[in-house]
Parts: sequence; C-alpha cells; structure tokens
Amino acid sequence: MTQAVQTVALGVLIGGVYALMAAGLTLVFGIMGIVNVAQGAFLVLVAMLTWKAWQVTGIDPILLALATTPLMFGVGWVLYRLVVVRVRASSPAMSMLLTFGIALTIEGLLNVTAGNYFRSATPPYFAQSFTIGSVVLPKAQVYGFLAALLVLGLLYLVLNRTWTGRAIRATAQNPSGAALVGISASTVAALSFAIGAATAGTGGSILAVLYPFFPASHYDWIAKLLGIIVLGGMGSLRGAWVGALILGLAETITATYGSPRWSTVVFYAVILLVLIVRPHGLFGTRLREDAVA
Amino acid sequence: MLTLKGVYAGYGGGDVLRGLDLSVVPGSVTCVLGPNGAGKSTVLRVVSGLVRPRDGAVLLGDERIDQLTAPQVLAKGVAQVPQSGALFPRMSVRDNVLMGGYLIRGQRELLAERYSAVAALVPLITERAGTAAGNLSGGQRRMVEIGRSLMLDPAVVLLDEPSLGLDPKGLAAVAELIGGMRDRGKTVILVEQNVRLGLSLSTHGVVMEGGRVRLHGTAGEISGHPDVASLYLGALGRKA
Repeated sequence: MTQAVQTVALGVLIGGVYALMAAGLTLVFGIMGIVNVAQGAFLVLVAMLTWKAWQVTGIDPILLALATTPLMFGVGWVLYRLVVVRVRASSPAMSMLLTFGIALTIEGLLNVTAGNYFRSATPPYFAQSFTIGSVVLPKAQVYGFLAALLVLGLLYLVLNRTWTGRAIRATAQNPSGAALVGISASTVAALSFAIGAATAGTGGSILAVLYPFFPASHYDWIAKLLGIIVLGGMGSLRGAWVGALILGLAETITATYGSPRWSTVVFYAVILLVLIVRPHGLFGTRLREDAVA
Repeated sequence: MLTLKGVYAGYGGGDVLRGLDLSVVPGSVTCVLGPNGAGKSTVLRVVSGLVRPRDGAVLLGDERIDQLTAPQVLAKGVAQVPQSGALFPRMSVRDNVLMGGYLIRGQRELLAERYSAVAALVPLITERAGTAAGNLSGGQRRMVEIGRSLMLDPAVVLLDEPSLGLDPKGLAAVAELIGGMRDRGKTVILVEQNVRLGLSLSTHGVVMEGGRVRLHGTAGEISGHPDVASLYLGALGRKA
C-alpha cells in the first residue's frame, strides 16, 4: 500500500513539472498554430545557464528561475520579433522547420561552449527527502513541483483574470474576430511566444536539478512534451495538465511495478489508445459550431 | 462624412474595387447593393482597415484613415460586423460582448455602462449570458456580433449581410436593431443581398457593379429605379 501511495505521489510531482514544460508549448500552438520544436532546446539551454550560475554563485538552482524566467520571456519576445514573425503567414510546416533550426542552433552552441557531456545541478538537498509517515518524497522533486505549480497558477490567473489574457484567448479562438475588436495580432503573438519561452525558463531551472542533461537532451524532451500535448488535445492547457499527469504516473508506475526501461513505451501506448478513441485528444472539445463546419 | 475617393483595392489577384467613389452622409443608413463579386464586402473591409487600398483615399471627416490598421480605425469610431464568424466560440456571450470594449478596457465604469446599454438593446445577451458563443444558433450569433460592435458606441457601423441565414423572427430583430441605430443618429453602411429588406431599412442606396458605383441615391430613388432590376437579373443571367 505504501509503495502504491509513494508511486502515485511521485508520479504527481513529476507530472506537475511536465505540465509546466508542456504548458508553454500548447499555449503557443493554441494561439499561433506554431509547434515550437525549440521548446526542448530552450529547456536544456536554461538548464545549462542555471547549472553554470549555480556553480559560480552557489545560488539555489530552482530559485534561479526568478532570473531565468524573465530572461527567457525576453529571449522569446526578441526571437519572435526578429525570426518567427517571418513565417507567421506560412504553413505550419515552415514554422516547424524554423523552430527545429533554432533548436539545432542552440544545441550546436551548447556543444561548442559547454561540451558534450552530462551535467546535473546538485544543491545540498539533492539527496535529502521529506518523510510523511512511510512515504518518502525527495526534496528536489517537491521543490520543483511547487515552483511549477506556482508558475502554472500565475499563468492561469494571467490568462483568465486579465485583459491581456482575454486578448490572448480571443486571438487563439478567432484571430480575425480579435482584430475586429481592436486586438493587435502581432503583439499578442509576440506575447504568447514570450510566455511560452518563459515557462521553459522556470522549467529549465527545475530540470537542471531533477534530470541529468547534455546538449542533445532536447530531443527526448520535445518528444515527451509533444506526446503530452497530443494526448491532452493540442492547444488545451487543461489537456496539458492531464497529459502531463498521465506521463508522470505512467513513468513511476511502470518503473515501480515493471522496469524503468518500459516507462516511456507505456506512455506512448497510452497516447495511441487515447487517439484511437478520441482523435482530438482528451480535451480537444467540439462545439455546435465545429459540428457545422 | 465618410468619403471614398478613387479607391482601387483587391486581394493580390487583381483589383476588386476599380476607382470607387462614394460619399456617405452622417446619420444616414446606406444600403450597398450589387451582384455577386461587385466588391460590396470589399468596400466595408477597405473602410475598416482590414484591406489596404492600392490607390485612392478613405476619409473620415477631413482625416485620411486608409493607411491605418484595423484597431486604429476602430479607435476612430468605425466598427465592422463581418458576414459571419466574428465571435470567440469558447467564450461566453457575456465575455464576447465585453471584448467588444477591449479598447476602453481601462475605463471600468464606462465599460459596465456600455454593457448595460447593449444588453438592453439585445435581450439575448442577458438571456444567454453564460452560454459559449459557439453553441448559439447562426441567428443568435448575428445578434451578439451586432451587439458587440456597439460596445465602443461607434459613429459608423459597417454591417456585412446582416440578414444572411436568418429566419423571419431573426430578421425582424436585426431590422429593429438597425432601426434603433438610425434613430440614435449612427451612420450605417449595410451590404445586403436582400434588396427589398435592405432598402426598407435604409435612407440611401448604392448599386455597385464591377468594382464601381453604378447608382447612388435615396432609398426611394434606388428602389424605384429600373436599372436595379436589370442589374440583378443580368447578374443572374451571367451566373447561369
């Protein structure tokens, strides 16, 4: 019984971190129809920056998210204005190629500057745990989860309680309708790309502690994140949450009762099964309007 | 006074408007008529800034607005209701209408005041406030779209085929709304396929053909004009 509770708790902790990482990807897709393949590279880039800053200053890696998150917001804004904006009117395939190019560039730069080997930030609590009854929760996992939860909560508030958030959602649902009420499409697009990159800011700092990484790790990460948002329904934040929890649970349950080697396979098998039953993903909703179209 | 002078505009595959001249008197309701492809909707899009003219000028009073973006034109008091699909399907009716006040979002009291005024004009907004707009019928969406366009209390309202796909009850409701705008002194430009309905709501009529204005006069003059029938019949003849 203890083992079951432990497994589920760990799955939820990991799932929360995945949810944050996937949130940025699904947000950008929902608003701009762009699959930002560079989201994984953003994570690894930030993990590397976090690792370096932690090495030099000794500041807690997860706390460093306070710096990396706004930094990545800025990086996202500039990248959008200078580069991504040029493929706005092109097909989704073009934006995938472009963001894949950005990912390769980041990977190459990291290879040259940081070297091609595994790193991991190991703050003092790295090997410590909280013990609740007989359930043992690694401190790093708990802190990472809480940081992810905090940022996801902020994102939720911004999207649902502010005019900026309403403008973002309106643009996602109907770009020409948004223009008609006076929303500037280019500002909203830059803003959402920047927010997407900012989630990779927090996510990357958490990643630096929770997972060993090297420049080419971004392939594994983008594969996981794409899996999550396809499972949840492309563009749905709620779907990203549920998809991320399923991935977290699939990993810990398979690792506990089977073998860690199978954990990823089980997750992709779940995706296949869900897509057979619900081709729109779990939260790809249909309205009266969709049925007509 | 809204004036279009020698406007040439299109969508990349040649001009749809070819030297269009049009003057609209403040406080009038002008019905734009014409066969399919005459450029009626394009006139509205040029005025609202969604399509930038290749040549010519659009003036609101003495000010040129043809180089402004759509949000800038909106801020000048020109609101457009397109043919369909202007709402945010996953937002509630209430939120959709409130989004119409996006440009006055900083003025809470004004926003609340406008919302009450619009809801009083379009009762459906209160009745279905919590419904997702994507779950409304076509006619209901039309009413919400028109209501939303009034949130900024615009001086000029551009309506693209407001009667499209409406049942008689919906038609009567839309007609009443347009009548209300006329009574409150708004300038309305209306594109309409339904000639009789369009002219009955309007003070003025414009007949377009081939991207230019063919006839322009009061609604009475236009509805009695022999060329109107032949233009439409001619268009139908060509189509068949």
